[in-house]
Amino acid sequence: MSLKSLTKTWEPMSYGFLDASAKREIRRKMLKAIAVPGCQIPYASREVPMARGWGTGGLQVSCTLINPGMQVKVIDQGADDSVNAASIRKFLARVSGAPTTMNTLEADLIQSRHRIPEEKLREDQILVLQVPNPEPLRPVQPNMSIARQMHADADYGRMWLQLYEQIVRSGRVMQGASYPSLVNGRFVMTPSPIPRWDVPKMDMAAHLTILSAGREKRLHAVPPYTRVEPLVFDDVPYRVEEHAALTCSRSGARGFFMNEIPQGDGTSTYEVSDSELGVKTIRCRDGEAAQVGETWYKSGEMV
Amino acid sequence: MAYVATRGGERAIEQSERLFRAEMGEITPNRVTEIRTAMPYLVDRVMGESSLYDEDLAALALAQTGGELYEAVLLLRAWRTTQPRLTVAEPVTQESLFTHRRISAAFKDIPGGQVLGPTLDYAHRILATDVLTGATFQPVPVDPASTPSPAQQPSVAAWQAENNLLTAPTTDTAIGNDIPDVTREPLLFPAKRAHTLQSLARAETGGVLALGYAAQRGYGQAHPTVNELRLAEADIRVRHPCGTVFSAGRVKVSQAEVVSKKDTELGLGFAATLGWNEVKVIAAATLDLNAHGAPKGSPTEEEFFLYHTEGVESSGFCIHFKLPHYVTFQSSLDAMRDAKAKRAVSKTDVKPQMEPAE
Repeated sequence: MSLKSLTKTWEPMSYGFLDASAKREIRRKMLKAIAVPGCQIPYASREVPMARGWGTGGLQVSCTLINPGMQVKVIDQGADDSVNAASIRKFLARVSGAPTTMNTLEADLIQSRHRIPEEKLREDQILVLQVPNPEPLRPVQPNMSIARQMHADADYGRMWLQLYEQIVRSGRVMQGASYPSLVNGRFVMTPSPIPRWDVPKMDMAAHLTILSAGREKRLHAVPPYTRVEPLVFDDVPYRVEEHAALTCSRSGARGFFMNEIPQGDGTSTYEVSDSELGVKTIRCRDGEAAQVGETWYKSGEMV
Repeated sequence: MAYVATRGGERAIEQSERLFRAEMGEITPNRVTEIRTAMPYLVDRVMGESSLYDEDLAALALAQTGGELYEAVLLLRAWRTTQPRLTVAEPVTQESLFTHRRISAAFKDIPGGQVLGPTLDYAHRILATDVLTGATFQPVPVDPASTPSPAQQPSVAAWQAENNLLTAPTTDTAIGNDIPDVTREPLLFPAKRAHTLQSLARAETGGVLALGYAAQRGYGQAHPTVNELRLAEADIRVRHPCGTVFSAGRVKVSQAEVVSKKDTELGLGFAATLGWNEVKVIAAATLDLNAHGAPKGSPTEEEFFLYHTEGVESSGFCIHFKLPHYVTFQSSLDAMRDAKAKRAVSKTDVKPQMEPAE
C-alpha cells in the first residue's frame, strides 16, 4: 500500500462546494430540526459564493443533500426561470453534476423561494425553502435571545395579541405572506414568506420540508405528516388570497395562485404563479403530451 | 434585457455578468501586484473584514470586483470557508508584538514610550494635484532616530492593573481547537468572549464606526479614553507535529484598548483585527467597553452591534431587496384591498355596531 492510494487527488472544490465538516454539521442540525418540528436550530452557516439573503441557507441545505442521482428543481417566486432561480440551478448543477428539471413531478429535490408548487409533493421528494427571517416573533420581539426564551416557554401571547389588534384595527388579519403557524402543536414557525395560499399545503404533507435561513443562521423543518396550523381564532377563519376565481391569461389555468400583471389601461390581468404548471397547461391545451400531477387545490378549493 | 421572469433568465444573467467583467477589462498579475503595493490599507481592511490574511488573494479579490468592497470580502470569505484548518497558532500576547506604532491618550508618557510610527494624523490633507499634470510625487526620506524605539512593549492596561486602577481580564487558557470559532459554530447570546472578539475583528469597518460613533457621541454609557492604540506585526508561531515551535511568518495586526471611569475602577474595552485599521479597532473597542450592562435592544448591546456590523450579512440582505418580491407583495395587496373594501362598506353602513371580526 502506498501513501498515494490512501489520499485523494487535489481538487479545487469539494463535491457540492461545502467541505465535509460543513456538511456534517448541517446534516446533524437537519436531523435535530426534524426531531423537534418547527424548532429553530442554530447552525454555523458558511459563506457560499452567493450573497447573503439570496438563498444561501437553502443553498447550504441543497449542497448537503444533493447527489448525482437527484433531479433538482429551483424556483423563485413560483418561476423556474426567474433570474436568481436560474443562477442557483446553474450553481447546483455545476458543483454536484446533478441533472436539473423544471417538472415538479420529476424533481427529487426542490429549492424554492417563497412558493410551494401547486402539484402535490410526494414522500420521496424534499422541499427546501429559502428563509429571509426565521423568527416569527420578530415583529413583536426583535431581540433573538429573548425570542428564543419565548419559544422555550411556548410564550406566544404577544403573537395572538398582534393578530387580535389587526382584526380590531383593520377588520381582518393583515398578515400577508409568512403566516405564523403552529407546528405539531408546539412551536410557532414562519413558513417562510410563502403566500397564505400555500400554508395549508404543509399540513400533514407527505414530503419533508426544510426551511433554512443562511444569513440568520437558523434552520427548521416540517417532517412528513406533521400538523401545521396557521394561528387563527376559532371565530375568524383562516383566509387565503382571493385567487380562486382568477384565470391565467396565458394558459387558461384557473383556481391557482396568480401573479397580477398591471395593464396600461388601469386594469390587471393574471398569470399563474407556478410557471411550470402554466407551461404544462399550455402544452396540454395544444395537444402535446404533458402530465399535470394531482394538485393541492381543485377548482380553487384546498382539498 | 428582461428583468421579469421570462424564458430568458439564464441568458440574461450570463450577459449581465459578462458586461460587468468586460467593463473591468483584463486582470493580469501586474494589476494585482499594483493593487497590493499601492493600496496596503485597503488590502488590510479587506483582509480584516474577511478574516483571511493573504495580501495577494485580497488584492486579487479587489481586482476581480473592481473595488466593490462588500463583493471583495464575500469573495474571500467564500474562499476561506472551504479551506482546511491545518493548525491553530500559539496565542499572541501584547508584549510580544513587533510594534510599529503605539500611542496612548491616557498618559503623557507610558512605559515603553509613545511611538508615532507611520500616520497621516498630523498631515495637512492637501491633494497633490501636480501628479495629474505629469509630476511625480516623491516622498521625502525619513530621518532615522538616534536610538530605535523598543520593538516590544507592555500594554498600558497591564500597568494599570498592577496599580489597582483596573481589574485585568482573567486569562483565557483555551488553546488550539478548544478556542471557540465563530466561523464554525453559530453565534448565540450571551456570546462567548472569543466569539465577540472574533466578530468584532471580522466586522465591517463602516458599520462598527457608525455604532461606535453613536456610543461615543452619547448613546452609550461610557466615554472612551484611548488607553493604547497599536499597529504591529504578530509572529505566527505554530507547533510542528514533532513538538518544535516555529514561526510561520508575521501578520499585520491592529489593536485598541479603551478605558472609562467606572465607580472606583476603570472599565476596559478591547478590540483587535488583522491588518492596520485604526478607526475600526477604536470604534470596536468602544462598543466592547459599552456592552457590559447595556439595555436589551440598545445599539451598544452585544446582540445589536454584533448582528448589525456583520458586513457580508448586512450588505447581502440589503441588495437582496433587488430580487423580485411579487408573490409576497401580492399577498399583502390582497389583505390590504380587502381591508379597504371592508372599511368602505362600514362607512356607508348605517348599523352603528360592527362585529370587529368580519
